[in-house]
Amino acid sequence: MKTSIIIITAVLVLAFSFFIFTNSSFFVPTYAKVKCNIGEIAGPAIKLVGKPANLVKYLFETYVNLFDAKKENVELKKKLDIFQLENQKISELEKENKRLKIILHLVEQNPGKMVAARVIGEDIKNWFRCIIIDKGRDFGVTEKMPIITPKGLVGQAVEVNKWHSKVMIVNDTNSSVDVYIDGKNSRGILEGTGQTTLKLKYILKNDEAAIGDKLMTSGKDGVYPKGLPTGIIITVNRNKPGIFADIDVMPFNNFKRLDEVLIVRKR
Amino acid sequence: MKISVYILTGIALSIIESALLSFFPVEFFKPDLGMPFIIYTTFFLGPMPGFITSIFISLFQEILSNAPHGSIMFTKISLFLIATFLKKNIYIDSKYSFSYICGGSTIIESFLFIALSILSKGETSNIINVLFYTIPNAIFTGFVSIFIFSIIESINIKFLGRE
Repeated sequence: MKTSIIIITAVLVLAFSFFIFTNSSFFVPTYAKVKCNIGEIAGPAIKLVGKPANLVKYLFETYVNLFDAKKENVELKKKLDIFQLENQKISELEKENKRLKIILHLVEQNPGKMVAARVIGEDIKNWFRCIIIDKGRDFGVTEKMPIITPKGLVGQAVEVNKWHSKVMIVNDTNSSVDVYIDGKNSRGILEGTGQTTLKLKYILKNDEAAIGDKLMTSGKDGVYPKGLPTGIIITVNRNKPGIFADIDVMPFNNFKRLDEVLIVRKR
Repeated sequence: MKISVYILTGIALSIIESALLSFFPVEFFKPDLGMPFIIYTTFFLGPMPGFITSIFISLFQEILSNAPHGSIMFTKISLFLIATFLKKNIYIDSKYSFSYICGGSTIIESFLFIALSILSKGETSNIINVLFYTIPNAIFTGFVSIFIFSIIESINIKFLGRE
């Protein structure tokens, strides 16, 4: 009897989640609110875990570097290893300093328009592409705010909590960006594939598009401001059937190696 | 008591996974660390703990993922129902059979997600992506669940008073 009640409840929850998935306006706001509240409760835990993770990251990178160094320099003494470790620490700090300087420069160029944030997590499913950043509602972050790095576009904020925000990266299958080819009169939609490369769609076969062309955001999708570099064309295939060319794009950012990002507050 | 310990451990592991994945160059396989807890509670503790674990784990996984609202909850509750109905036909006698079931559940979850996307929204853009990662995810989830099973068993013996 008890099992039957649980099964009936589970089937009801199943139906409820189905309606949420189909964006039923009756259920989605309540569900989003519940999720947001739980996210806010979990926020400090996510931030807290992110901090030791940085230490693990440092140890991991140091270990990988050390492993290679050990292979090459077996005869080196322990003392030298310690010096190397110190050296690596300094070079890591230098790299971080350089990155932060570029970000600071960008923030200073656009006072009040940008907020720097640190990446503290990644999507736990590899079906989707998203990152979690350590800035939320408290820093004025709202949904659909563009996220960039000095190299180019990263994505947009899709869920914002008090403590942190979820950012959909441009290579997510649900992402689309209106872009134009820099210096040419061609416009298309850049879509995520879930893989490293992106697809540039709706470029006619007789449009000007060549390997090595840079893509910039057009600002016409209402999310991303005009002129943000997004990627570079790596293949153009005009031999496939249909009126549009098949174009692959490599984004400027390596999304697996993002440490800091910038949130564009005003567009 | 037991169930809250399992849920908290599952959530903590998922948060740690999310934090660590942001810098480990792992993209090809991402284990579902919530799955072993759902399977364990459903098979060993009964339908009620399994149901509660499914709800909490799926909610937290949705918070840590860009998955559409309700999608992970749908797949996890479906898996809970499947596990409940198959409970009498499947016998888990060791951590290895447990890992096979967890791996198999990951494959079923992928197909459930694809079916849900196609049948409800007609979306096909993510199918190749989901299929591409199904087998690696299943293998890795199965592998990790061996350790999770051992962790759960040691928690049971050390803290939850099971001999």
